[in-house]
Amino acid sequence: MNWDMLIFAYLAFAIVTTSLWAILCRNPVHTVLLILVMIIHQAFLILTLGCEFLTAVQIIVYAGAIMVLFLFVVYLVNLRKETRSSMFIRKWALALIGILFFAFFFWLNINVFIKFNPQVKAYLPFNSSKSVLWWMSTYLFKYYLLQFEIVGTILLVAVLGSVFLLRKVRVSEDRG
Amino acid sequence: MVPMNYYIVLAFILFFIGLMGFILRRNLIVMLVSIEVMLNGIIILFAAISHYVKDVSGYIIIFFVIASAAAESAVGLTLAVLIYKKLKTVYSTDINNFNG
Repeated sequence: MNWDMLIFAYLAFAIVTTSLWAILCRNPVHTVLLILVMIIHQAFLILTLGCEFLTAVQIIVYAGAIMVLFLFVVYLVNLRKETRSSMFIRKWALALIGILFFAFFFWLNINVFIKFNPQVKAYLPFNSSKSVLWWMSTYLFKYYLLQFEIVGTILLVAVLGSVFLLRKVRVSEDRG
Repeated sequence: MVPMNYYIVLAFILFFIGLMGFILRRNLIVMLVSIEVMLNGIIILFAAISHYVKDVSGYIIIFFVIASAAAESAVGLTLAVLIYKKLKTVYSTDINNFNG
């Protein structure tokens, strides 16, 4: 019995099924909960790819913060009408253009990836005494420090921007 | 040992599902959720390549992708709430103020 294949098959099946079901689901609350299931399965898929730190980050940040934010907004916004009106926009030509672009890029990339032999180069000795997390933190603070600061600035600007937007609306409503 | 191509095909399928959801759904919140699905496909792609090439740069890029996804969803949901407050709707077909 090939356990790696079996675990990968289960995780891939769960991820694809829950994401498809979430896109085709009528109720937005069900959509957000199904995406939550998908994200937890995907965290374990990343665990099979050998990075336990990113599994923890995925569960804490995605499942714990982002999806709860989505759920609060779905509760905040009244969506009773969704059960009666249509789910999809009637722009099937747009979807066809999307499918064609996707097929083009898939065709461009899949040859590169299939012919790509991953065993050729090994930049970092994963099997040394240091763990993946050690290499990750070393690279993050040695070579990717500027990008790290930029991401911190992006988060700060996003928080300030959303607070500013919501605060301004509330002030104008009080005046009106 | 699972071949790398399986992960890449899974990532492409996930990206495609997210793309179709973003294009075809009417609800703004579900469109933002579809963007998250697309980002999850990208995360699988980077993790697979980083695992099979044995380079940690892909993991670090995943770290950045998760941080930017948090920022993106915060701003996007703020805009969705603002649109709901202003227009009393969250459907993309109803937001037609600039229709000619």
